[in-house]
Amino acid sequence: MRAIISLFLISVLAWGIATALNEIPFGAAKTKVGEYYIGRGKEQTGASNIVTSVVVNYRGFDTLGEVTVLFVAAIGLGAVLATRRKKEKRDVEPASLVLYTGCRLLFPLILLFGAYIFIHGHLTPGGGFQGGAVVASAFVLVYLGCRGRRISETASKTVESLGGLVFIVVGLVGLAVGGGYFLSNYLPKGELNSLFSAGIIPIIYIAIGFKVGSELAGVIDHLVEESE
Amino acid sequence: MAKTAPEASHQRRNFFYLFFILLIIWLALTSSFHWQEFSVGILLSLILSLILSKNYLKLGLPPISLKRIAFSIAFTIVLFIEIVKANLDVAYRVIHPKMPIKPGIVVIKTTLKQDIAKMILANSITLTPGTFTLDILGDTLLIHWINVQSENMDEATKIIGERFEKYLRVIFS
Repeated sequence: MRAIISLFLISVLAWGIATALNEIPFGAAKTKVGEYYIGRGKEQTGASNIVTSVVVNYRGFDTLGEVTVLFVAAIGLGAVLATRRKKEKRDVEPASLVLYTGCRLLFPLILLFGAYIFIHGHLTPGGGFQGGAVVASAFVLVYLGCRGRRISETASKTVESLGGLVFIVVGLVGLAVGGGYFLSNYLPKGELNSLFSAGIIPIIYIAIGFKVGSELAGVIDHLVEESE
Repeated sequence: MAKTAPEASHQRRNFFYLFFILLIIWLALTSSFHWQEFSVGILLSLILSLILSKNYLKLGLPPISLKRIAFSIAFTIVLFIEIVKANLDVAYRVIHPKMPIKPGIVVIKTTLKQDIAKMILANSITLTPGTFTLDILGDTLLIHWINVQSENMDEATKIIGERFEKYLRVIFS
């Protein structure tokens, strides 16, 4: 009896999924806005990476929200962990020579890689968030390899605030001089596929890269403090 | 603050090392000689190496010379051959029905002084399957060995470390 009921339920489920999938035309555009972005994105924003042109330009306001969410999360973590901060400095066991040396050797190279990712956000996959995460991973390496070393909280807060400020100021200037809306792309678009192109997109992605990198590094700093 | 002459030359050397390493990585990543890419790469490498070259000071990178470059290339080839040989050896031990392994930890000595030289030696030993560097303490390396051939420190040093160290000694002399 149970087997029959299960069979019945599964066939109902299968029928439901099949009809739902049948409704979706395979390979055809589902929304007009997607077609619009693909068709006009390159000439309107100058970015050869369509995803970036959507994230930073068409949907720049959403990205500002995302950056804010990350900012609030970092602040919240800081607020929760800072109340329980222990002031005294504990002796930490130094990392092994291999890790210590490797960390010193690789730290600048990882920073360069992160910078490469966020500078090329409008040309290649990746962008400010990904590049920022790579930059923060360099600081994870510092915390693993060079124990006892700390990033300065003031510096990370300053960089983070400057990143956010650049984003907003560039957007507001667009409101004033550009098409009259927030984050309009008013700078020259340049030649498609070259580094200096796509107007304000690279500037905003560099700002996001710095902001995300310093934010995540600050988060790691708080977590290290807590675990010590 | 006045600096002594050798210290200043060390700093300059490390700055140029870092600058050129960063620039080469940048060129490899962008794979383009377009002036825009190139100028941004130079600017970034300059900034990063100005700020961070003092991290490279303690690594003990040697001055560059033709002999050192030649030995570095030879070292890379030797390392590659050793990796292939060790892979085959470990594969044989895994496939063999009796599994002829004799795992254990041995201590080997090194005469290398610089941090980076010790790190390259340790990583070369780790990269060749069958041997694994657990830690470096002063001038001794703790090695986990899949088939301990000798518990004697000097003999173990000869078998595990010497094949890489003779090149590294020249490079970092």
